[in-house]
Order: sequence, then C-alpha cells, then structure tokens
Amino acid sequence: MNRTVLNWIGTAELRAHPGRILLTASAIAIGVGLGFAVHLVNASALNEFSRGVQAVNGDADLQVHSVTPRGFDENLYPKLARVAGIADASPVIELAAQSGDVPITLLGIDFFRAATVTPVLLGRLALNSSAADSLSGTDGLSPDSIFLSRTALAALHKGTGDRIEVESGGKHALLEIAGTLPGVSGDENLAVADIAAAQWRLGTQGFIQRVDLKLADGADLGRVRAGVQSVLSPDAEIVTRQNAETRAGTLSRAYRINLDMLALMALLTGAFLAYSAQALSVARRHGQFALMRVLGMRRQSVLTEVLFEGAAIGIAGGAAGVFLGWGLAAAALRLLGGDLGGGYFSGTRPELVFDPAAAVRFFVLGLFCAVAGSVLPARAAARAEPAIAIKQVGDPADPRKRPGAVLPLVLLLAGGAAALAPPINDLPLFGYLSIALLLAGGIAAMPLIARVLLAPFRALRLPAPVDLALKHLWGAPGQAAIALCGMVASTSLMIAMAVMIWSFRNSVDAWLVQVLPSDIYLRVDSGDGDALTLEAQQRLREIRGIAEIRFRKNMPLWLSPERPAVDWMATQMNGHDPSGILPLIGKTVAVPAGAIPVWISEPAHWIYGYTPGQWISVPLAVQKRGQARKFFIAGEWRDYGRQQGAIAMDLGDYTALTGDQLRTDAAIDLAPGADEARVMADVRAALPPATSRNVTIADSRAIRAVSLRIFDRSFAVTYLLEGIAILVGLAGVAATFSSQTLARSKEFGMLRHVGVMRRQIIAMLAAEGALLGIVGVAAGIGLGLAISQVLIQVINPQSFHWTMDIRLPLPLFVFVAVALIAASAGTALIAGRKAVSRESILAVREDW
Amino acid sequence: MMDRMVAPGPDIKPLLCVRGLRKTVPGGRVLFTGLELAVARGEFVAIMGESGAGKSTLLNLIAGLDAADAGEISIQGHAVEKLDDDGRTELRRRTLGCVFQAFHLLPHLNLAQNVALPLALQDSAGSAALEKAGRMLADVGLQDRDHDYPRDLSGGELQRVAIARALVHGPSIILADEPTGNLDPETAERILELFSSRVRRSGASVVLVTHSPIAAAVAGRKYLLRTSGLIAA
Amino acid sequence: MHRRVIAMLGVVAAAIAGMGSARGLSGGVQFPSVQPGRMFQFPADHGAHPEFRNEWWYITGWLNRPNASPVGFQVTFFRIRPGFEEDNPSAFAARQILFAHAAISDPAAGKLLHAERIYRAGFGLARAATGDTDVVIGDWRLTRSPDGKFHAQAGGGDFALDLSFAPTQPPLLEGESGYSQKGPKPDEASDYYSIPHLNVSGTLMRNGLPQAVSGSAWLDREWSSDYLDPRATGWDWTGLNFDDGSALMAFRIRGAKQENFWAGGTLRDSDGTVHAFGPGDVTFLPVRRWQSPQTGADYPVETVLRVHLPAGDREWRLTPLFDNQEYDARRTGGPVYWEGAVRAPGGSGYLEMTGYFHPLKM
Repeated sequence: MNRTVLNWIGTAELRAHPGRILLTASAIAIGVGLGFAVHLVNASALNEFSRGVQAVNGDADLQVHSVTPRGFDENLYPKLARVAGIADASPVIELAAQSGDVPITLLGIDFFRAATVTPVLLGRLALNSSAADSLSGTDGLSPDSIFLSRTALAALHKGTGDRIEVESGGKHALLEIAGTLPGVSGDENLAVADIAAAQWRLGTQGFIQRVDLKLADGADLGRVRAGVQSVLSPDAEIVTRQNAETRAGTLSRAYRINLDMLALMALLTGAFLAYSAQALSVARRHGQFALMRVLGMRRQSVLTEVLFEGAAIGIAGGAAGVFLGWGLAAAALRLLGGDLGGGYFSGTRPELVFDPAAAVRFFVLGLFCAVAGSVLPARAAARAEPAIAIKQVGDPADPRKRPGAVLPLVLLLAGGAAALAPPINDLPLFGYLSIALLLAGGIAAMPLIARVLLAPFRALRLPAPVDLALKHLWGAPGQAAIALCGMVASTSLMIAMAVMIWSFRNSVDAWLVQVLPSDIYLRVDSGDGDALTLEAQQRLREIRGIAEIRFRKNMPLWLSPERPAVDWMATQMNGHDPSGILPLIGKTVAVPAGAIPVWISEPAHWIYGYTPGQWISVPLAVQKRGQARKFFIAGEWRDYGRQQGAIAMDLGDYTALTGDQLRTDAAIDLAPGADEARVMADVRAALPPATSRNVTIADSRAIRAVSLRIFDRSFAVTYLLEGIAILVGLAGVAATFSSQTLARSKEFGMLRHVGVMRRQIIAMLAAEGALLGIVGVAAGIGLGLAISQVLIQVINPQSFHWTMDIRLPLPLFVFVAVALIAASAGTALIAGRKAVSRESILAVREDW
Repeated sequence: MMDRMVAPGPDIKPLLCVRGLRKTVPGGRVLFTGLELAVARGEFVAIMGESGAGKSTLLNLIAGLDAADAGEISIQGHAVEKLDDDGRTELRRRTLGCVFQAFHLLPHLNLAQNVALPLALQDSAGSAALEKAGRMLADVGLQDRDHDYPRDLSGGELQRVAIARALVHGPSIILADEPTGNLDPETAERILELFSSRVRRSGASVVLVTHSPIAAAVAGRKYLLRTSGLIAA
Repeated sequence: MHRRVIAMLGVVAAAIAGMGSARGLSGGVQFPSVQPGRMFQFPADHGAHPEFRNEWWYITGWLNRPNASPVGFQVTFFRIRPGFEEDNPSAFAARQILFAHAAISDPAAGKLLHAERIYRAGFGLARAATGDTDVVIGDWRLTRSPDGKFHAQAGGGDFALDLSFAPTQPPLLEGESGYSQKGPKPDEASDYYSIPHLNVSGTLMRNGLPQAVSGSAWLDREWSSDYLDPRATGWDWTGLNFDDGSALMAFRIRGAKQENFWAGGTLRDSDGTVHAFGPGDVTFLPVRRWQSPQTGADYPVETVLRVHLPAGDREWRLTPLFDNQEYDARRTGGPVYWEGAVRAPGGSGYLEMTGYFHPLKM
C-alpha cells in the first residue's frame, strides 16, 4: 500500500470529520485514562504501604512476630538467638501508642542488638558535640529517652529536648525526645525507646511482640526458617518483609482488581465506540473505497487503510489517555485518598508514583481497542464488491435477509460458561471474561434484537413519519446496531453495577439491623492499647439508665502469614447460642461435649475453607503457654464488615482460656425511658481519660448511617466510572445518529420532493431516535441484568467472599430508560433539523 | 488518421480480446451470450444499448470487477478470469483508466490529489505525482485549480477532472461508462470533444458505453449490445 | 588500668547527661567506692563484682605461630553497671552491660584486625558471674576452669581466637596491695591485680584456617566505681613480661597540657620482690612519633619508660611490633586509641595510648 494514498485518505477523513474522530479518540482516551488512573492510585497506595511496613520493621532479614497485639513470651528471644544460622537477634516491643491525638507506632528496642540487626532503627542523639555522631550504639539507653521519626516530630509539633506523654494500653509515660530516627524514611509516625523502659512503662511484663533476626553470612534461609519454626510458640510466626506486604496487598487486592476491571470496562465501551465510529465511517465511504478498488487499490490495502485510521485514533486516544490518567490519579489521590474511598489504607496520603511500564501497557491497550474496533468495519470495506458498492450508499444489507444468530449465540453461551468457572489465584478472572463475552454477544445480537423488538410495532397503524422510521430501522437493523453498540455497552454495564450495588446495599442494611440489636455501642479504637479494664467495666455497669451491658473482646489474629489477620471476636452468648447476636446462615451443627464452639463468618469460610462441623486449631494466647487450642466450628454467619474474615466465640470461654479480662467493645441496652444522649455522655465520663479519647460511642442508628455512608463512599468511584462510560456511550449515539442522518440527506431531499413536510421528516427522525432508544434501553437493561447476575453470583463471592440477596432498583431502570430514550430522540431531532436545513443542491451533489 | 481505425489486421495482436462471453443476472435472465470483441491499440470503440442491456456489466467484466459465466477476456495477453483479485487489481491499476457517469471524485481530496490517485497507487512519489496531475488538469482546461475541492466544481468541470484522472498514468485502455450522462447537451458536447482528443493524443484504446448516438459518434467503431452479442452499427 | 571501658562509660554518661534527664540516672543507686586494705580472695575475685560501676578482664600478649612471625593479641571483657532505673522489673532492664573486644596485631596485615560484642546482661545470652571468672557475651566467653586455667573464645569476621591461659605465677596485686590510685583523691582508685606470664596455648583462625599457637600473656583485673579525675585527658599504660620471669606494669595519666597528671606502676622481680611506684617514679619519654594516616592522631609509638627504683632508675626502650596499631572505634561508639604489641629489651608486652585524638572525658 502506498503511504501517500494512506496519508491522503487518512488526513482527508480527519479534515472532513474532525469532530467524529475526536470523539472516538476521546472515548479511547477516557477508557485508557480511567484504567491508568485507577492503576496508578492503587500502585501508589501499595507502594506507600510497603514503605511504611519497611519503616516499622527496620531492615531485618527475618522477623518473628506475635499473632496478637499482646505478644508472646519474651523467653522466645534467647531461643531464637541460639538457632543455628542466626547471627544476631533483636527483641522488640511493638505497641500501638499515641501522644495527644497523634497515633504512634512505638518500638522498644535493645539498641545493642538493633545496632547489628536493624541499624536503621537507631536514633541519632541531638547533641551538638562532634562526639554525638559517634554515639550510636548506646544512644537512648536512658529510660526517659524517645527517638521520633521526622513525620512523628512534625505531627506532634515537637522538637528534640521536648517532653511528650505517650499512652498505650492504658499506661502512660512521660518521655523526652532525645533525637530523631535518620534511618527511617516514609511517612510513618514511629517512635523508638529502650525496650526495658517500653516494656515496663507501656507494655506487658514478660511479653514482647517481635524479634528481628539477622542471618549469619552464607546461612541457608530455608534451613534457618525451619530452625526458627521449630522453636516458635503458636502465638508467634515468621514474617518476612515480603509477606507483610503481601498481607497489605491481599487486603485490598480484590477491591483494587475490581476497580481495575471496571476501568477496563470503560475502555471496552471505548472499543465499542471505536467500532461504531469506524463502521459508520466505512459505510459512509463505501463508494469511495469502491472507487479506489476500481482505480486499482488492493483488498488488503483497503483493510490496511481502515486499520491505519483506527490505529491513528488509538495512538491519539491512548496518548491523551495516559496524560488524562495521570491527572485523574493526582486529583483522586488528593480528593479520595489512596484507596479511592474504599477505606483500606487508613491515614496515608501516598505520593503519586508514575509507572512507565503501566503507561505503555495502557497506551497499547487503548491502541489495541481502537484497532480491534476497526477490524470488522475494515473487513466489511475490503470485502465489498466494488462494482456494486460504487453505485450504492451506506448499508448495503438486503432488507429481506434475517440478521445472523449464530455468532451472538456462541458468544452468549461462552459467556455463560465462563461464569461457571472457578476463580484463578483468588481472582474472578473468568467472571470478567464472562462479562466481556456477554457484552460482545449482546452487541452482536443487536440487529436481531432490533428486529425482534420492532416486530410488534409493525402490526400497528402508525402515523406516516413513525411508519417510515420503523421501516427504515427494520430495513437497516445493522445501522441501528452500529449506532447503539456504545450505548448498549455502557448502559448494560451501568445497569449491572446498579443492580449489584443496590442488592448489596439492601443486604448490608438488613445485616446492620441484625448485627446491631442494642441501643448504644462502644468501641476502643486503639485495640488493646486502651482496652477496658475490669475496673472500667464495673464503672460502666454502674451507670444509671443501662438495662444491660455486654462486653466483647475484639482482636486481630493471624491464621496465615500471607493473609491479613481475622477478627477474633469473643462475645457474650447465652449458653453458646449466638442467634440474635450473629446473623447466622445455613444450619447450626450440634457441639460435641467438651468442645469449645466458634462461629465463622462467610469470608472466613471462603478464605480458609472452614466449614461448620470442622475442628480448627488457632494460635490464641492461652493461659497455659505453648499450647494451641482446638475449636469446633458450630455455625456460619453473614458478615460484610470484615472482608478478611471473622471468628466469634463465647466470651466466657475466652476468658477461661486466656485469662484476658480486657474488653474492647460493649453493647448497651437502655433501660426504658433512659435518655440515650445522657447515657452516652455518662459512659464516656466513666472511662479513664486516655481511653475516653480513643473510644467511639455511637447509637446503632448512627453506626448504620455511618456504615452506609462508608459503603456509598467506597462505591462512589464506581458510580463515577459508570457515569462517564454512559456519557461516552450517549455521545456515541449522538455522533452516529447525526452522521447517519447527514448521510441520508439525499433521501430526505427526495422525501421533500415527493411532498413530505419538513416537520414530518423531523418527526420521523425523532421517532427513529426514540425507537432506537427503546431498542437500546431494552437491550441494555436485559444485558445488564445478565451481567449483574455474574457480578452478584460470581464476582462478589469470588473476590469479596460474601453473598447477597438480589434486589432490583426499578426506579433507576425507569429513569435510565426515560433519560436514554429522550436523549436519543433529542439527538436524532437535532441531527434531523440540521439535515433538512441543508441546501437541496448540496444534497444532490452529495454522491456518496 | 482515420485509416488506422479499421479492423486490425491478422498480424496485429489485439490489446483487448473478448471471446464467447456470457453473463446472466441473479434472477437467471441472460444479459448476453457469445459476445466477441477485439480492440487494437489506439482504437476507439463505442457500445450502445438500451438501459439494462448490460453495458455497464460488460465494462465491469473487462475491468475484472465482475465474473462472467463463460468466455474469456484478455488484456495485453493476460487472461483476466485466470488472475486472482490482487492480480486483476494490479492489471486494472496499470492498464486501465475509468470515466464514470457520476464522475466519482473523492470529496475530501483536492483536484490534484484526485487526479494523482492512480499514480499514488502505483507508488509514485507524492510531489512528482501532484505536479503531473497539475499538468493534466491544465490540459483539460483547469489551470491553477490544483487545490480546489470537488464541491467547488460544476458537473462539466468534474468530468474534466475525471478524464484527467483516467489518463494520468498512461493507461492502454480507457473504459468510459456514459461519461456525458449527467451533463447538459452543450456541456456534453464539449466534454466529448475534449475526451476524444485527449484520448487520441495519448494513444490509448477506448471502450465507451453509452445510449447516446451523439456520444457514440466520436468512435471509430460502433456496436449495439444485444443478448446475442455485439452487432456492428 | 584500662581503657576502653572508660571510653564506653564516657559514652553512656554523655548519652544520659546529654539528655538532661530529670530522673537522676544514678539517682537512687549508690556505687561502692574502692577502699585501701581490701583482702583479695581467689577464686571469688576472679569473678564479677557487679555492685561496682565498672570492671574488666583484660588479656594482652604475644602469640607464636609455626612458620610465621609472632602476632600481638588482646581479648578484653568489660562490665558496666549503668545504675539507672534499677527498679525496672523488666528482664530487659540494662542493670549490667557487658561488652568485649578482641584484636590481632599482625605485621603482615599492617593494621589491627578486631571484633566486638556488646549486650545487656540477661536471658542467658550475656552474663558476668560472681564466684569465678565466667563471662558470656553472645558467642564470646571467658571462663576459668578448676585447674586455674583461663579460657577465651572470641572473634568474628576475619579471625577467631580459642585460647587457654595457664598461670605460672601467683596474682600480682597492683598499687598498694591491690588498691591502685588513679588520681589525687582517694576515691579515684581501683581494685587491681594482674597475672603476668600466662602460658598461652590454643588456636588462631585466620581466613577460615586454624593455626596452633602458643605464647605469653598478661591478665589485668580491675574494678572501680570512680576512676578518672575530670582533669585527665588521656593515659599511657604498659604491661611487660620479661624473659627472666619478672613483670612490669606502668601507667601515667596526662593532664590538659600532656603533662604527667598522675602515674603509678609495679615491678615484680624474678625472685618475687615487688616494687610499687608512686606518681613521681614513672616517666614516659617519647623517642619517635607516628602520625596515623586514618585519623591524623600523633602517637609516641617508640618510648623510653623510666622507673625510679631504690637501687637507681631503670629504663626500657619500648618498640612497637609495627606502627599502625591504632584502633578507630568511632563507628561502634568507641574512642580512637593506639594499643599494640611492643618489644622491650629482654621482654615483650603491650602498650596502650589514649587521648591522642581527642581528649578523653568522663
């Protein structure tokens, strides 16, 4: 193919229809931009998180960490130090602490050990003498000293030499800022103090939370791990930096992948739009391509020409999309945070990390979509018989021919089959494939669907313009399909998301009512840090206006080094009967005599493969040291609150096992006539001041409201993505329709000549638009419902590990239907006015 | 001059040779059968017939755009029906020039580009092709209008451009399908004159189909298209 | 007399003082002070004296290797009682800090090879037992077996020592029957005894290869709560084993102008006669100086040591095994000093010189 001709035709098309090409390119750009932005935000957030993990962990080769905040027996430390292949071991107290209202991760370290194992955790003394630089090893041995990361110093508005009060676990210590932590990078609020002082003043006697390990030169990591494992008690586990990051990744992975996929769906809409634009452009230029063929252009060259145009659109759209994505990501990080409102990475405001590889990937994806969207039109253009095509305009389809049903049927069936496939690597990839196939099948079926949907109208006696419109659509359903495909793609995706979200929201709402039967709830936000002591519990019980108060112990418990901790909930049950406290699903299994029953949440079932009737071994810190306890799974309950899984047990059992009297939660039933606000104030007043500041007290209505608000917030981005996709789809309808209308101006000229009134033509076009809208909406909603089932039955259980009851947002359906039909009739009307107002001479002149 | 317009002698190999051509339309009606035609270098042949007689179809068959039911067409010794699509396209590109009733200019290319299209398709460099196209345009009376677009032109002018395009790459055979059909008689006359003079100067052979005796008058040989084939008129 | 511990004490004190801690670091803690006339009891005094602020087991000497030149070595274990927050019940509380230092002076290497360990006592990973010598610091240890031999294991990186030390002479009580004064105030003193002429046997690992070694060493044992006068800026110390069985220890403490601020020493003749030296009896006369290319510090590496004896002055010219026996411990929080193997006519031993880079402070 000659480059000159390619350029001439390509640039001529761009000059002739810049708006349409711009629209197609921007559809691609929006798809690429959304995808790239979501990817960048996710990558930046994860990167930030992993830097945080690194800052807290120092640079240890290997780490043994406790599975609960309480820690493990400190005598594990010498055992670990003596494991063959360990060069040195550094014991660490790791506490969730705070100073004022600034949360701080407090590390108590043995400076001598850290000097060899995790030197980045060593503080630098703020002395002015030159000797100070050489003081590392023993810095801060003083029990009063604390070293703060730069971020913590800034957050506290303090400098070296100032004193700060640090609180953790209801204990307080007044410490002097002796210096900074120059080795700590990242935005972590980190404080380092002497281990002995930290254990005594803020921690638990006899317990530490972790031991950092340094491997001897040349030691075999596998063998050392095995050696370490052999001395570990059940309440401790090996953590490497890698699996700490994996944990963070796992927590939000499903959410991130789903956002990524949704963004790709926007790109898919872009691809369909590229298809409709290209199909139209090719149809319009049928005669031109025929002429080129007559003049001696090869079939292959015609194909190349159209694909080349698609590629040019893809390059422009892809490049613009990468920039758009960068800007969107920056804006999203500023406005929504690193989790795009999902609530997974609390407190961090990540720095945007540009990822050139991903930029290239998304650019190529955009290019691919544009080219893929051009393949069918290009083939159509190349296949056309030039001798016939040179005389005809537009869609050469024979009105008597029935649109094919095989391809759409195959695609739809394949989509259904893909939905049945299991997840891959915990991700519902086949689920997404299923959605893509259903979409493609649905759109391939559009001509057929248009016929089927229009059939009932044919029997009606209709006013002339509407009848003409109907005949046109009936005769050229392919044109209708082309106009609609972008709109159908975006509408069906939006409907699917809406059905899923609506079902989800209703299920969550119902669940909230079930799990929050009491009037007032109290939660210690800092976990064990400020948990309610026996004394505090007693004070709460004595508050007037409280009919009943039930305490609960919540804590994270790591069941697998690669996964986030499950929520271990010890809660008061009346004789091992959790009904009324937990929203049980499925049937309950009879508990064998002597067994300690636990109830698992739905996500725990999915993630760990636990089922009722099973015995599980859990590293709960039991009173009798070194002994893991076995528990019997008595039932399962629905839980939307803890994606990482939760396990509930009776509080009495828990206390008997662990001797732990601290409580983190309380549910309060009010006495009749009690003043809720006063009771809440009294509860707060009854707590120790440090605890009081870290406690959330809310009535169940407020909790429900907040929960639903969080829910809506985390889906806000989803709505946004879908909204943009649907706007792009609508713009596609407008562009397609107006150009189809313009292409038919000769037809209108003829109609005017035979005596059809101008307004009748406009009415005809409006009717066509409305009919098109009806077909599009019906197909979109039908397809959307099918896709929503994939979302609800496949993608949610596979990626979030929960199920839901299906609810249809009927008002939204009505709204979408009316809006889209009106919009498409409106665009048709506008296009029609333009077409009819053209000079008839021009209409005659328009050969093709 | 006119003495060269006689039937070719046995020693001269015809440029275009059609033997035993048969074509039916999808409904089964026979358009023509046993059609024979030989056109020598520089010869001007006109084929007349009623609307629907298959004049355009005959041209499509010669151009390799349609397939016959039986018979042979050879152009410069190449059997058209034996070539694949790319081969026919190649043959068309190098040896044929076409003029249509509806002009068929690309609306978004300027006049020079439109004329230069056949050259561009033969991989000629853009600027040289455009210069040549400009000379061709001047030759058909459209000096300095290289950068105008088809929308700016009248029907007669459009056909002048089409004639320039048909000749620009020096084809051996010009196929003209009712080139004056869309023009008023006065313009038609001037265009015919231009067409025949330019074609003759180029030395190309012409197959002109038309229902207009006036148009056919410029031809050396005239035939009527009947179902049984061509009858000399 | 020694040395690194003082530097370390200085570091700890500086760290604590620099923080301006309101809680007195030694607030509630009373360190016992060294008194003259103490009765030494063995093996109990070979063990730790944890109530004192600092203490060390300090072995220096020469090792002979088959088919190779002799090397100097030192294996030194230290104990510090920081004295802060001793009421902290935590098992991590730093009631005692133990650290150790080992070095090889190999002329072929042209510099010191050294390794260190530092731990807070506890969890069985580090301890300094009372009753007899039993000091453990991570994988290093110094013990005394019932047959009276000392055993040291130390090393890391490019060398390791596994040595036994068999006494050939009774302990030598330094100063006034073991009461060694370091300054004009009676409190500025230590309990101090030495065991010269230890017969060394064992293994020296160099670059993964074991070498059987033998030689002669010197053990210094010293504990104290109050060591240096604030006016002191550094000191020189030497301990020499002579071939005839006599042994000499001498030190001087320098003031701000490098003048003799205090001095002392002991000579035990081959017949067992002990001569104690007062501040006026010991003189170090620099003969040749060497400037460290690493730190720029200027050391009198060759010195004439003169002591005043009733029979008249005696002097020995001390020549180093090689010049560059400086140790720069700043990276691990220690001082810069010179400590190396020296020869003297008819004997050999170790020389230590501190305070030549920066004045040492307490």
